[in-house]
Amino acid sequence: MKAFAPGIYPRSEKLVQATRDLDRGRTSEEAVDEQVERDLAELVAVQQQAGLDLLTDGMLRWQDLFRPLLDASAGLETGPLTRFLDTNTFYRAPHATTATPTLGGPLDERYIAPLPGPRLVTLPSPFALSQGTGVPPLTIGENVLKPVVEALDAELVVLAEPFFGREEATSPAELEEPLAALAGGPSLALQLTFCDARKPLEQGLAELPVDAIGIDFYGTHVSDVPKGFGKLLLAGVVDARSSTIEDPRELAQFAERLRNEREIEQIALVPNGDLQFVSERIAREKLLRLGQVKTATVEVAA
Amino acid sequence: MKLLTHEIGSLAKPPWLVKTSAGTPLDDGDVEHARSWGDKLGVDGHEELVETLQRGSPDKAELGRWASRYALRLLESAGIEVVYDGEQQRTEMYAWAVEHSNGFQPRGTVRSFDNKYYSKAAVVAEPSLREPYHNDEFAFLQSAANHDLKIPVTGAYTIAVWSYDEHFAPQSGRIGAGHGRGEELAARREFANDLARNVIRPNLESLIELGAKWIQIDEPGASTEADELDIFVESFNESVEGLDCFFSTHLCFSDYDLFFPAIEQMHGCKQFCVGFANYDSRELGTSGADRPGYEVISKFRDLPYEPILGLGVLDIHTDFVEPPELVRDRILYASEVFGDPERIHVCPDCGLRTRSWEVAYEKLKHMVEGTKLAEDALATAGAAT
Repeated sequence: MKAFAPGIYPRSEKLVQATRDLDRGRTSEEAVDEQVERDLAELVAVQQQAGLDLLTDGMLRWQDLFRPLLDASAGLETGPLTRFLDTNTFYRAPHATTATPTLGGPLDERYIAPLPGPRLVTLPSPFALSQGTGVPPLTIGENVLKPVVEALDAELVVLAEPFFGREEATSPAELEEPLAALAGGPSLALQLTFCDARKPLEQGLAELPVDAIGIDFYGTHVSDVPKGFGKLLLAGVVDARSSTIEDPRELAQFAERLRNEREIEQIALVPNGDLQFVSERIAREKLLRLGQVKTATVEVAA
Repeated sequence: MKLLTHEIGSLAKPPWLVKTSAGTPLDDGDVEHARSWGDKLGVDGHEELVETLQRGSPDKAELGRWASRYALRLLESAGIEVVYDGEQQRTEMYAWAVEHSNGFQPRGTVRSFDNKYYSKAAVVAEPSLREPYHNDEFAFLQSAANHDLKIPVTGAYTIAVWSYDEHFAPQSGRIGAGHGRGEELAARREFANDLARNVIRPNLESLIELGAKWIQIDEPGASTEADELDIFVESFNESVEGLDCFFSTHLCFSDYDLFFPAIEQMHGCKQFCVGFANYDSRELGTSGADRPGYEVISKFRDLPYEPILGLGVLDIHTDFVEPPELVRDRILYASEVFGDPERIHVCPDCGLRTRSWEVAYEKLKHMVEGTKLAEDALATAGAAT
């Protein structure tokens, strides 16, 4: 049983204040950078304390799931401020100015920070990044995401996919080629965040050419996961949109159900999406609970 | 032909209030801000404020009241007919409401977008009103305003949808149980209606008792969940039903088509003030093709209870100052669609708190000028027929 935390992690209250001050001309970029480094050190320490198996940098400088990629690409730019799903958090929707956008260069350490141990990196899935641009996911995958993935030194790349599970007229088959285009480097996971994955699972989500699939178990019924699921399952058992702190024993019992009832051998416990939808104080507590679930799982199994 | 102009809600807070609230020392520029705007707007006795700021250690509550006086004069001297104080004495529209209610606990800040964040609370028990939380402000503004007042009150549904739910929704047994949307909807309905009955309505009753004639229920969160619009409508009706006042609702930055047909049931709403300029062209013209941002207004016209439309004509997201002629053309197009200019009021898209006072003031003055141009054009057209 593994555990880790893909996605955008919330900024501390101090970093929130620093960025506000920067916007109002009351502090310097250097001061904000220093606070980002302090936030990152704290996040790493919390993950280590929790015993998480892969570290994340929390994407602390990412303004949303797409921004650094849009800024680094020729032919992609920020579009209108758009509500993220049914939350009160908004993102700048990707907008294409050409049919074949390309990445200008790899993302630097400001956006993929060095970490003191095995790590994961979160990127948008090709489908998510292509939404609303009119550019096919395959083109986005080959021209924008693949150069980023190839340059990464990571154990796992989690491709976050918030939209696919909510689209009525889509099928996992549409993701096959774009995901295949990203293969050959680090292990890949496709994580369907904040949604009911029943339909995509019925349509063959588990067969996509990735090493792991992420499912939100606050949206998906456990019985909708095929028995003997043959990949690593990123089990979204921590609700990133709720302020309620999960009970590790309840989550451990659920993990045992996945193992026993659904006959799943490889499980990683994760949040069901970006933890940025709760405050940093709550997110930190949730990370610590994730670690406790690992211990509790051993106890339940014994 | 007379078209009523009104503000929507928030204005930026002056630096001398922001810094004092944050415990930051004031500098000469802050004092000069108070002096120059006091002179410009003709704020009675503003020299006293300047002296207070120069002495240092000003009283925060007193500064809040000064900021209210300045905001009132800013709106009044721009020519706006129905005003408030830009919510100078409130922390923020959501935070103010939950801070003064029982049943909530703060849960930190969450990103709105980029470096913008909002405070978010969780409902942890049945919500109730600690004490009417706009009374002091309203009583003060009644004594300070020269124009008629319209009070903005954050609506029940927006408070519900902007809060975490640690009380009404199930707290355990959710994991792997499938997407229980039915359960979620039932919990949200109970939460929003409890807020309407036990927090918003007593506030409204209290304001009416104090003499409020027009109360604007702010619902920027109304379209967050497309399948919850009936809950928004139900909670609005629960808040205002049977109360004797002019109630309006402010909606902004949504796909307004989503609101139909749900808001056909909002019979107690006498006016919808809605942001359109954000979606519109900056070119002049009075045809439908010239005014793409206003395409949806015929749906408001056709509501069975014939509400007034508060026509948003100022884009609050930009420093672009709309020329009076652009404001005029937006009004003329809306008047043509409605066929009855008396069902049109003129307002900004939303609160102007993200704009500087300089920009907000210019925009509002142009809105008033544009409204006069539209009145003249409508009068001329009326005379010709």
